[in-house]
Amino acid sequence: MTAKILRIFVMFIALVSIASAQDLLFNGYARTYLGALTTGESEYSIVQNTFDLNFEHTRDGIYFKVNPFLYHYSDKDLELGFRQAYMDLYFDSIDLRIGKQQIVWGKADGVFITDIVSPKDMREFLLPEFSEIRIGVTSLKLNYYMGSSAFELVWIPVFTPTQMPDANSIWNIKPDYPLPFSLDYSNVEVKEKLSNSEIFAKYSMLSSSIDFELMAAYSWDDDPAFHSEKIINQTNGIVDSVVLKPEHHRLATLGGSFSTTIGPAVLRGEGAFYNGKFFQSADPLIPDGTEEKNYLHYLLGVDYSIGDLKLSSQFIQQVILEHNDNLINDEFENTVTFLASINFLRETLNIELFSYIGLNNGDALIRPKLTYDLVDGFEITAGANLFVGEEGQFGRYDKNDMIYTKLKYSF
Amino acid sequence: MNLTKILLITLMMSAFGISMQAQEKITGREIIENVYNRETGEDATSDLTMTLRNSRGNERVREIKQFSKDFGKEEKSIMFFISPADVRNTSFMNWSYDEEGRDDDQWIYLPALKKVKRISSDSKNDYFMGSDFTYDDLGDRHPSEDTHKLLREEIINGEVCYVIESLPKEKGYMYSRTVTWIIKDKWIGLKKEFYDEDGDHLKTLSVEKYDKIDGYWIILQSVMHNVQKKHKTIMNLKNVEINIGIDEGKFTERIMKRGI
Repeated sequence: MTAKILRIFVMFIALVSIASAQDLLFNGYARTYLGALTTGESEYSIVQNTFDLNFEHTRDGIYFKVNPFLYHYSDKDLELGFRQAYMDLYFDSIDLRIGKQQIVWGKADGVFITDIVSPKDMREFLLPEFSEIRIGVTSLKLNYYMGSSAFELVWIPVFTPTQMPDANSIWNIKPDYPLPFSLDYSNVEVKEKLSNSEIFAKYSMLSSSIDFELMAAYSWDDDPAFHSEKIINQTNGIVDSVVLKPEHHRLATLGGSFSTTIGPAVLRGEGAFYNGKFFQSADPLIPDGTEEKNYLHYLLGVDYSIGDLKLSSQFIQQVILEHNDNLINDEFENTVTFLASINFLRETLNIELFSYIGLNNGDALIRPKLTYDLVDGFEITAGANLFVGEEGQFGRYDKNDMIYTKLKYSF
Repeated sequence: MNLTKILLITLMMSAFGISMQAQEKITGREIIENVYNRETGEDATSDLTMTLRNSRGNERVREIKQFSKDFGKEEKSIMFFISPADVRNTSFMNWSYDEEGRDDDQWIYLPALKKVKRISSDSKNDYFMGSDFTYDDLGDRHPSEDTHKLLREEIINGEVCYVIESLPKEKGYMYSRTVTWIIKDKWIGLKKEFYDEDGDHLKTLSVEKYDKIDGYWIILQSVMHNVQKKHKTIMNLKNVEINIGIDEGKFTERIMKRGI
């Protein structure tokens, strides 16, 4: 391990040296993150040191960026990689971006509706910064600009699924299944071939009255469907267990988003129709335990201020079309988000409260935090992640309530 | 936020081409309108350094690269944050309109979110980036929002100035009155005092350095001193260029994301 750290350290020094020598721009941050559970024996939920570098160079209409990162944990192997590494080619009306990149679409905050191009790293649920949740994927992105509107086309040659927590992680949730089960991952891989690539297209406009985006995608569902294979007890002929086989399926999506100003408020909306999403079913007549359904996911949000207090709220609804009572998921799943943020001491002290509230199950994730800029570029954060309820997408982590502190130095 | 007028804090009082007819009978309102309506060129770019100094003398520095262009009935500006490091590559775009009562359109690009967000411009009383300047202080306040009275003429730093008292028409506005010293013929505000809602002296703006660049009077250094909280903001402008033919495409989402 020591030799590995040394090699990485030497690599970073070399990169910084190259940056100096080649007139590269470089910046980044170092961060220490310590979190402890408030339940049980106050175990540490995370002890993480992060080093994130960003190198940029531009010349004659060509731009290059590489963003290596390093995570050091107290209880896991060192993790390093490139968050992004791409090249831009700029023409009069066209930009081309080639390489590993994070792509963000839509107008929603903290909710992924049309923002489905970059897959998510859910190893720590929704707690990391959004720049860390989105996984950079190797892709080709073409933007064609016409005045205040733009057309964007993204081709992703190799599918990358949602990154899920390890089996022993506190964020790992076992599939909710009424019978004993085992997992068979033989179908989970999407083969790397041209016919399995993904295509995303977007038309967007930014104007004085409204900003909007229209999108379409032919992609893979980042989250697998869990098809089941029933195991029949030979002695009594009853199904007494199942083998769950996670498998990704093709997904066609049409969607859009908008944002406009109404008086002192900003009104935002986003919605998408997904064709071909699989849901678990309890219908014993369905051999593999899943049903393919079309699905709607939409949001309405408003941002407004009362004096120095910035407020934002969103209502989100997920709808399974042609729902039936055998489906495990509710026909409608309603969620609300709420954000309140205020600055003090000449914007060096920020107090923020962000929460997701699940209306179906009465569960919530409440995230208060306080950030203080001790000096420019050096901030201290103290906060909590509180899960309320017993079931639902937030309540199921009820035992993971945590308090944390972060020290971040940006340079 | 209404950041667009940051550039204009240097240009708002620049004197160019405004004739001085009937100087002796000029009213407070006319003087303020002359300041507000002065010509500032077709486009401009500059590097702004803002130093925030607290009562103990500790300093925080913010650096911004900014561009603006007049399109006739609308003006567009864009700024890119250079430092501190944690806001680097953040950009802000503002479109403002001549049409009376029409709010500005504003967007901010946050590199951590990789997204351009529309924001509300209803924040004229907010302080800009933790400084002692509100957005209104930076030149966005229309003369019709106050009543103006010419109090006297006075000499400051060898310049003959009109002294104008302005009282807000809006009840509960953060300043109960302001007093501005405006250089005759140049239409530059050399000094401005701000009084809070209780009528107590709150802040003083002092112009410490100005020069003629490309035919325009440009304020190169100004200081806003909050006398109640005993802190200051010093604004310095460098690399000012005017009428350089900035392309319309500079003021788009494309450039907000791409950067300078």
